[in-house]
Parts: sequence; structure tokens; C-alpha cells
Amino acid sequence: MIEGLEALYMREVKRIYRSIYMWIMIISQPVMWLVFFGSSLSGLPKEVLISFFHTTDYIAFILPGELSVSMLFVGMFSSMSLIQDKRFGYMKRIFITPVPKYYVFLAKVFGGITRGLLQVPILIGTALAMGVSLNVNVVSIITIILSLTFLGMGFSSLYAMFTIRTSDWQAPGVIANLLNLPLMFSSTALFPRAFFPSWLSDISDVNPITYSAELGREVLLSGDPNWSYLGYLAIFGLIMLILGSYLTNKYMQAE
Amino acid sequence: MSIVIAKNLTKKYGDFVAVDHISFEIEKGEIYGLLGPNGAGKTTTIKMLTGLTPITEGDAVIAGISVKKKPREVKKRIGWISSEVILDDELTAWENLEIQAKLLGVKDWQERADQLLEYFGIKEFKNRKAGKFSTGMRKKLEVSMALLHSPEIIFMDEPTIGLDVNTRASLWNLIKQINRDYQVTILLTTHYMEEADMLCNRISIINRGKIIAQGTPEELKEKYGGDVIEIELKEIRDGVLSDLESVGKLIKSENKKIAIKVGNAEEVLLKVIGIVGQNNIKSLKINRSSLDTVFLNLTGGSLEENEEFDARRFYAMLRRARR
Repeated sequence: MIEGLEALYMREVKRIYRSIYMWIMIISQPVMWLVFFGSSLSGLPKEVLISFFHTTDYIAFILPGELSVSMLFVGMFSSMSLIQDKRFGYMKRIFITPVPKYYVFLAKVFGGITRGLLQVPILIGTALAMGVSLNVNVVSIITIILSLTFLGMGFSSLYAMFTIRTSDWQAPGVIANLLNLPLMFSSTALFPRAFFPSWLSDISDVNPITYSAELGREVLLSGDPNWSYLGYLAIFGLIMLILGSYLTNKYMQAE
Repeated sequence: MSIVIAKNLTKKYGDFVAVDHISFEIEKGEIYGLLGPNGAGKTTTIKMLTGLTPITEGDAVIAGISVKKKPREVKKRIGWISSEVILDDELTAWENLEIQAKLLGVKDWQERADQLLEYFGIKEFKNRKAGKFSTGMRKKLEVSMALLHSPEIIFMDEPTIGLDVNTRASLWNLIKQINRDYQVTILLTTHYMEEADMLCNRISIINRGKIIAQGTPEELKEKYGGDVIEIELKEIRDGVLSDLESVGKLIKSENKKIAIKVGNAEEVLLKVIGIVGQNNIKSLKINRSSLDTVFLNLTGGSLEENEEFDARRFYAMLRRARR
């Protein structure tokens, strides 16, 4: 039965790497953030950058943040892909075979994670090419991959859950608007916690993006990682995955 | 031996009954047709049989297994062809087959897949993206996918809807061929009378969720059919209509146009001409007994009229189901 899941996952992967538009999106989106948004604070005095951002280079600061935020957008794409399969009837084709319904969900989630992870080498490579100094080694890369995997697992599942009962094209856009922006700005992905009012820092303290962004900074910049963050992200990812699988099995509609 | 035994199969959406206690049996090796207008409940029946939608009441036993109790076991033994062709257009024909095989848990599928592609004459295109296939080739690929696991029965939901005349005729041949060459039982739904007549060994006529007649096309025509003679007259003299009633059933009489239903047109034609008078006839037309006339006799309306009515009813059903 597991070969059914493998087949559905490979379908997602093939759809990603065969589409030129997908590549343009995967490459351009994070690079735009890094180059344009990352340069927006370069005029700040060095002392301000060091005391608030703990680095002299804002690009180095947002690199782990942007990697984390991009997992949010990847979540949105998994829900769009679910809707597409409903609209074109492919979901029916899958549901008339003996594989359990939640395989569809797992394939979308892992397809989304794969897509998100493709951005790791692209972003780190771009940052290095822009002259940012990073601790690139086996431990930091593995840590980043793991934390993004858990983060992507959580968000892809969350998005997919919102799409279980609908086949409306508009749904992912609405969900993205209601989830992406608040989650992105209520985390330390783009700005340090010291800038936030207390209510925002309260949200930021439980926001998984904060944990992924901070852990990324610790391994890539300061070199003093708090490993419990990885545990937090793992729990978030796994709970969402299990919840999503359960809900899909119970409520997913073929159309 | 019956491959499908449906008993009191019922589907309700809220208080709307889409399929109303229908029962039928399909013998191994036959092509069975569910014939009826749009919105009659044909697709819902297929959805229940394939496990796409839960059965509200009743049950169906497919290849000896209850759909209600063991849907997964049933799904291993059935094939399915949709009315719209459903393939992953981004993947090649071969990759589409591969996914289908793995979803069905078929081991060593490659050899059979090759044979099927060869059989349908699309083997040389197996590494081409399905999105680049013509409609006919897409249908063939879909049929290959449905046959990959040697199913006991294939469900075809309106297989020829939206196809041009040539493609439809070649699909009819294809359906007959696979039924013969692969000894696969087929249940198809259609709202084309001629299609049911041409392909099916036996038919259930379904209207508004209920089966209103069952039998072979010949039996149905014999029982509910009959030829219809349409005559346009120059004038209608007194007593002509009542005289015609003695020959057959008068089903239309307006603006000097008359239609009567008779058993066999040839046997009574001279008598009819005698009654109305040879020189009084402007035109005369004989409509042979067909499933169209069967449907007309059973429901009192033509298929088209019923379709229009049922479409409205169908949308009302959709609205209720969404709530």
C-alpha cells in the first residue's frame, strides 16, 4: 500500500521540477526578498544593527527569517494543488483506488516541503555571493533542513486542512491573506523582538516561524544554537500532520 | 453468476432522494446499461458503487463483497472511466499508468501496461505527455488504466458524452472489443438511447431516481415500444379520428397532423391509408420502434423534455446538498 503514497509524492515532485514557472517562482521569490528587502536597512548605523540585530548585515539577519517565511507560501501552494486536483477530477481517480484518503494529504504536504527545501541552497548561495559571511557547515545545514521540514509540515498541513471541504479557487488566496501576513509579521523573521509592542511579542513567542528563524540565526551566525527550538518545531509539525491526516480521512471530498 | 447485486440502493441528500431504492443484478461478462435523462440518478448510482459517496440505504455486493462493509476490497476489483477524461496532463502516458498501478497495489504491471498500450495502438506514444494526446488517445489511455489490474467490472459514467460522431463510434467499438477480448463486465450509464441499444445486453431505464423498466433492448421495445405513424392530412373528415383509434393509439392530433402508435406499421399501413383516403395524405412518416419510443411510452415525455425538467431539479438538489 505504501507504494501508493510514493507514487503520489513522486507525482508532486515531477510536477514541480517539470514546470518552468515553478522554477522561476522558487528561485525569484526568495532572491527578491533577500536582494530588495534585505538591502532596505543597509543605511542604518552599525551600532543600531549590532545592538538590535546582533549582526552588521541585515541580509544575514533576514536570511533564516525568509527561509522560514517561504515555508508559509509553500503551504499555500499545497492547498492550491489540492483544489486543482478536486477541480480536474483527479481526486476522484485516487479515491476510487484502495489507498487511504490521507495519502493525498501526505503527498501534498511532503511535496510542499520538498519545494520549500529547494530554496535553501538557492538562498544561501545568493547570500554568499552577496558577500554575507555565514557559518555554512554540515551541522548548520542539517539543522536548517530539519527545522524547515517541521515548519513546512506544520504549515502545509494547516493550509491543506482549510481546503478539505472546499473546491473554490478563491479559498487559498483568502487563507493566505488571513494566515501568511499575520504569521509573518508576528514573528522575528524580519524584525527583532525588541521592536515589538508587548502584545505582538507575546504572539511572536509562540509563533513557530520565530523558532525556526531564531534557530537558523543561531546556527548560521552566532553559532550557539538552542536545540529545544527544534523540539518545539517538531511537535508543531507532527501535531499538524496527524491532525490533518485524521481530518482528511474523515472529511475530504472528492469534488 | 452475478458480478453486481444492488439491492434497494438509495442515496439521499437531506430530504432530497437522488436514488430511490433501486435494485438490479449484472451478470458476469455482460454490458449493462443504466439509461436515463440527466439528473435521473445514474452518476450517483455509480458513485455509490465505486465508494465515492456513502450509501444512505440498501447495499451492493460486487464480486461477492459488500460495498458498505468492505469498500477497499471492492475498490481493488473495479475499474472506472469518468465522463470527463481524468489524467495528469503533466505526466507521460507511462507515468500515468505507473501511478495507477501503484495506487492499486499491482506488482509487475509493466508487462501488462505494455500489452495494453500495444492493444490500443498507442504504445509508441508512451513517453509523451498525456496533455499532448488527442481526445481519442486520452480515452484509450484511460481505458488502459482501468484494465491494468484485470478488474472484475468496469464502471463507465457517460463514456461518450461530448465526443464527436466519429470518436463516439470508435469508442463503441472499443467498449465492445474490451468486453470480448478481456472478458470484463461493464456497467455504463448513458442518456443516448441509441448507445444503450447498440452496446448493452441488458438495460435499466432510470428516471427521477427510480428504475421504471428493466430488460434487454429487444424486450423493452417489444413491451413498451411500437412504431409510430405520423401523417399530415389535407383535411380531417368526420369520423376519421375514431376510425383510426381502432387501428392504434392516437397520440397526437393537431393542425391536421396525426400520430398513431401501432404494433407493427407494415401490417396496418394499408388500413390506415384506407381510412384517411389516399388522396388526402400530404405526407406520411413511419418512426420505427426504438428505445426513444420506449422512454416516451414509459414516462409520457420525450427524453429532452424530461432533461429540461430534471436539470432544474438537479440544481435544486445541488443547492440543498451544499447547505
